[in-house]
Amino acid sequence: MLATHGATVGPASASAEGSCGGAFLEVEGLVKVFPGTRALDGVNIRVGRGEIHALLGENGAGKSTLIRQICGASQPTEGRILVEGREVSLPSPHAAAALGIAVVHQHFNLVPQITVCENLFLTEGLPRRGGVFVHWGEAYRRARALLSRVGLDIDPRAMVSDLRPDEAAMVAIAKAMGADARLIILDEPTAALLPGEVGVLFGHMRRLAAEGHAFLYVSHRLAEVFEIADCVTVLRDGRNAGHWRRSDMARREIINAIVGQKSFSEAISSAPVRQGDVLLRSERLGGGRVAEMSFELRAHEIVGVAGLPGSGAEEALDLLYGRFPATGGRLVIAGAPVAFRSPRDAKAAGLALAPKDRHAESLLPGASVRENISLPNLRRFAADPVFRFIRRGKERAEAQSVAKRLSVKMAGVESPIASLSGGNQQKAILGRWLMSGAKIFMLNSPTAAVDIGAKAEIYDLIRQIAHDGAGVIFTSTEVEEFPRVCHRVLVFRDGRIAGELVGQDATEANILNLAAGGAE
Amino acid sequence: MTADVGARRVAARPRIDLTVFLARYGTLLSLVALLIVFSIARPDVFPTVDNLLNIMNQISILGTMAFGLTVCLVMGLFDLSIAAMATLGGYIATFLLVQYPDTISVPVAVAIALGVAAAIGVMNGLIVSYLGISAFIATLATGSIITGAVLGISDSKTIITGIPDAFMAIGQGAIILGVANPILIMLGVGLVLWLMLEHTQLGRHLYAIGGNAEASRLSGIAVKRYAPFALAVCAVCAGLGGLMSAAVLGAGRPQGVGDGYLLNAFAAVFIGASSLRPGKFHILGTMIGVLLIGVINNGLSVMGVPTYWQYIVQGLLLIAALFSAGVLTMRRR
Repeated sequence: MLATHGATVGPASASAEGSCGGAFLEVEGLVKVFPGTRALDGVNIRVGRGEIHALLGENGAGKSTLIRQICGASQPTEGRILVEGREVSLPSPHAAAALGIAVVHQHFNLVPQITVCENLFLTEGLPRRGGVFVHWGEAYRRARALLSRVGLDIDPRAMVSDLRPDEAAMVAIAKAMGADARLIILDEPTAALLPGEVGVLFGHMRRLAAEGHAFLYVSHRLAEVFEIADCVTVLRDGRNAGHWRRSDMARREIINAIVGQKSFSEAISSAPVRQGDVLLRSERLGGGRVAEMSFELRAHEIVGVAGLPGSGAEEALDLLYGRFPATGGRLVIAGAPVAFRSPRDAKAAGLALAPKDRHAESLLPGASVRENISLPNLRRFAADPVFRFIRRGKERAEAQSVAKRLSVKMAGVESPIASLSGGNQQKAILGRWLMSGAKIFMLNSPTAAVDIGAKAEIYDLIRQIAHDGAGVIFTSTEVEEFPRVCHRVLVFRDGRIAGELVGQDATEANILNLAAGGAE
Repeated sequence: MTADVGARRVAARPRIDLTVFLARYGTLLSLVALLIVFSIARPDVFPTVDNLLNIMNQISILGTMAFGLTVCLVMGLFDLSIAAMATLGGYIATFLLVQYPDTISVPVAVAIALGVAAAIGVMNGLIVSYLGISAFIATLATGSIITGAVLGISDSKTIITGIPDAFMAIGQGAIILGVANPILIMLGVGLVLWLMLEHTQLGRHLYAIGGNAEASRLSGIAVKRYAPFALAVCAVCAGLGGLMSAAVLGAGRPQGVGDGYLLNAFAAVFIGASSLRPGKFHILGTMIGVLLIGVINNGLSVMGVPTYWQYIVQGLLLIAALFSAGVLTMRRR
């Protein structure tokens, strides 16, 4: 009986039992089938009373799907859910709440422009006098009671927008606990928190756990998991990939369970063919979330910049491109020190940025493919230096030749950009900068919302750009892309480069380990 | 998800769709239909060269202002100060000519009036770009300030006597082939702005900023410099419209000159954005919108329909035009 709950896969099967204390929630053989995929394929998990249980896994491993089944947002195809030993069905979030299961979502589901008290009563409604007028005295009294249960000493009349992030997190937990939550599911609660605030949140969690409240804690941040969790369950491809108790948690094993066995035939994992000249040198450059960074980028090189959200990895690209000002350090481009006051300066120095959000930051939505490709390059089509009349024929011919080189699939360069698939839109964006003759390409998640076939084409394209003599700085929210694309990877932690992984060492597991605070 | 949908649409594109066709050419078709209907209803009066030139003359002030407005709407900026700016343009020119008849010639007066309008337009743009106030509110405010300032300077008195004939010729003369000067001015302004928007780097940047300001900024366009330019162009066109109005009337009115044009100019530009290139503001479309308004007003009055119908029909027309443009925009998503 007990063996069925525990992990049957992965290196931790020795410590098979899936729980630390008496079980509050047991999930047995849960299957969830969506058209075309089995999002959950026989998942077991057991959360004890007063236990802080971490749930780990990559994007798409099945964490969110599992949570949705547990909190009644969706119904499993097969399998059983037991609460305090009795099998239950959870047709709605309301039913789950009645059994004491509450969820706090990543962004806390609070309305910033209203008070703490109003937020706490958002779902059930404020108490009324005679069914009409709000009984504010009663509302504040009950709000204070709720807040004191989670150990938060703030005025319920305060605006949520005025709270610190950790206070907002606790308000969200207080709201979720409502009348009597026994299991609180936290979906990446620390994503918006600073390190000090995380500590405060953990203090509250430990106290509530000691009072018997259980937590199911979803996070990408391994360091935090080791700090707070009593148990860890790892999911991979909709199945259990391992289970650990506090006493036998091993970082390497857990990372391997998360990552699994992957092989990429086309992975670069070796030095570039040729070492080119230094194109860019960052000397303790800092600004925004980037405390400081020092590195060099050479021609022909693809350098990955990896890190957890908020670590400064993504911001590093924006900083280099002058999207916000540098507050310290020095940037040297092609041997000459520069100080970018705007992206305009960066572009003039031969830099190019393909930002993360294609629709918000890259595309001209109502325009044609041609207009999207030539956006930063209109000057080269000017027929005269004063009025800058555009030579439409030349513009079209060059846009066509770039689109052809990148094999952008489209009816023609005059087609609306909106008629292209995500992958082809992304190719047009890259084409925009190829046409500009940029020497330093900075690409943030270039394969986001792109189908698998187009991803491979974009990887090839990135390699081609480097091969042709440019330098590429690459970042992505998908860690598995770094080993496939980059020659070496700089791993950010807390706004600094925590380490560098070169060639064969730049594996997904090593990147995760370094990003989460492990040694090189 | 969006990627898949987009991929399928590539294949579907060449098919011609009736809704798409109507959204694109509906405005133009209704203009033609109206011309035919009015011609049949009053064959003796409506379809004559004189009357058609008359229509053009009637729309010339509106057209000039609407062309300017098109430039700032391309960037996504609403300029609500054009009514006040028109009043200002006409008043300043007549005021200078009457106050300093010996020192200030007509060209100088015109230049000063348009220069003041341009300066205020630049200020509008600086407020939008550097104080971060939306153009809608900023121009509403500056419009109020201008209205107050002109009333104060003029002591609410209309300038009637002493306006030189050379100035009134701007509105009443006909330099080329007997075509009235206001028509020539409108067509000239339209041609210059069309060339600018469609065929120069400047125009392409204005469209790009209106389409996606952040993408434009990341492409190295100095986004903040364009609002002062676009709003200055719009202000100059509005000032010119008011100046033409003063020349036609032979009077410098200190208030109310532009009020009738404000709504019509917006109507014309938005009707224009529903034709030929739906969802995009462009000069040719604005010209169609202006013509449509002119033809309706002229046709209805030629047929003896009471004036109040003009307002009602214009309102209905605007809703129909925006609806058809909206349908197409929704289908494109």
